[in-house]
Amino acid sequence: MDPIEQNAITEALHRMWDKFHPEMMARVEVLESADAALASGSLTMAQRHEANAAAHKLAGSLGTFGLTKGTILAREAEMLYSNEPETDPTAAARLAQISALLRSIVENRK
Amino acid sequence: MNHRVLIIDDEEDIRQVAALSLETIAGWDVEMACSGAQGLLRAIEYQPDAILLDVMMPGMDGPTTFRELRKNPATANIPVLLLTAKVQCSDQRRFADLGVRAVLFKPFDPLTLSTQIAGVLGWN
Repeated sequence: MDPIEQNAITEALHRMWDKFHPEMMARVEVLESADAALASGSLTMAQRHEANAAAHKLAGSLGTFGLTKGTILAREAEMLYSNEPETDPTAAARLAQISALLRSIVENRK
Repeated sequence: MNHRVLIIDDEEDIRQVAALSLETIAGWDVEMACSGAQGLLRAIEYQPDAILLDVMMPGMDGPTTFRELRKNPATANIPVLLLTAKVQCSDQRRFADLGVRAVLFKPFDPLTLSTQIAGVLGWN
């Protein structure tokens, strides 16, 4: 692929990121809500499934936009939410940490 | 002749990035569907040379959509490549056992997706 073509793709990806940025943030917010519910002991099954789905989507999307670290973190969140995090005393703190990192990654992509 | 690819995925960002990649880099013609049910109809109408099919979709998921495509003589022979963000070995084996042409993984690199697909399908 010649550099001009590659630049055109990169530019197009930037425009797409701008378009889909609100959706990415919404997915992070789903995780943050679930994290808060988990920390307060009120996480419902529906919230857990929603968080699992949001993490799965982030894992699939972020790396496509060049955010590989975001994919790795989202995969970890997906795994934690699929394994009954209510029974893991360390899960709430780790999930909150992951969501904070994901927020920073999504907010700061140029 | 341009290759024709149908992308079936419920996530718009993935559909758009994959389409950008296949159209701009490879020069292929791309159609898109946002659900398994819509994908079945588009596959019959469009008669693509290949289908890129997401695994996890609400309603009809990827494996079910694949089985429906195989049941219909109008779509039975179209090569299907599954696209998944599932990375566990057990999932990968399960998907490969379905009889799809290949399992590709999300996230994909938009700069090399078409090369990956072309390699699997012998379109080089």
